[in-house]
Amino acid sequence: MIDFPKLLRLLTEHDVAFLIIGGVAAVIHGSSRLTQDLDVVYQRSPQNLTRLVQALAEQSPYLRGAPPGLPFQWSVATLRMGLNFTLETSVGPLDLLGEVTGGGSYEDLLEHTITVEIFGVQCRCLNLPALIRTKRAAGRPKDLEAIAELEVIWEEQQEG
Amino acid sequence: MKFLSQPLTPQPVIEAFKKDIDRTLIRENLKLSHEQRLLKLMQLQRLAQELRQAGRRARRESV
Repeated sequence: MIDFPKLLRLLTEHDVAFLIIGGVAAVIHGSSRLTQDLDVVYQRSPQNLTRLVQALAEQSPYLRGAPPGLPFQWSVATLRMGLNFTLETSVGPLDLLGEVTGGGSYEDLLEHTITVEIFGVQCRCLNLPALIRTKRAAGRPKDLEAIAELEVIWEEQQEG
Repeated sequence: MKFLSQPLTPQPVIEAFKKDIDRTLIRENLKLSHEQRLLKLMQLQRLAQELRQAGRRARRESV
């Protein structure tokens, strides 16, 4: 289970530049589908990598599904060498994405976000049309129903 | 990124899925605040976790 209040506060209190995408963004927009992890796109600047490492340092981040004992180190160097990380942390599963299919980087997505206030912090979340487009671009059959739901939400919002 | 600004043109496969979407659930969700929607998701995640644990217990006991 994701401890959203704690995780979002940790990221914002450390001034991490990130934006919410994926299933949690869908829920923020009104989806009723269950999702198990938080997907965020993070900025890849050296300063932001440092802030991200500091924000999660005490939450035991480890590669999700990997066998215990791997020489995985939560560090700026590790983040610099990779791009996307699927992590298990003490505050829940967290996917850190440097880029998304069809959406690009944090900077590319930024103008397609909304700011939401949740649990006392302000977070950026991909806006609904952009979320639909990135899910369409990913082209995963398992997303078809989720995309349909998002498009219905979009229609409801346009009508309402 | 231009792709993200393009209009959302209907796609036949997705349109076919839309007929099974429960709009009443969506309308209820849209009445909630962003935070309330996430709290509801956390409740769902807790329930899913408890069901998984119960399933594991039941499988162990049936062996």
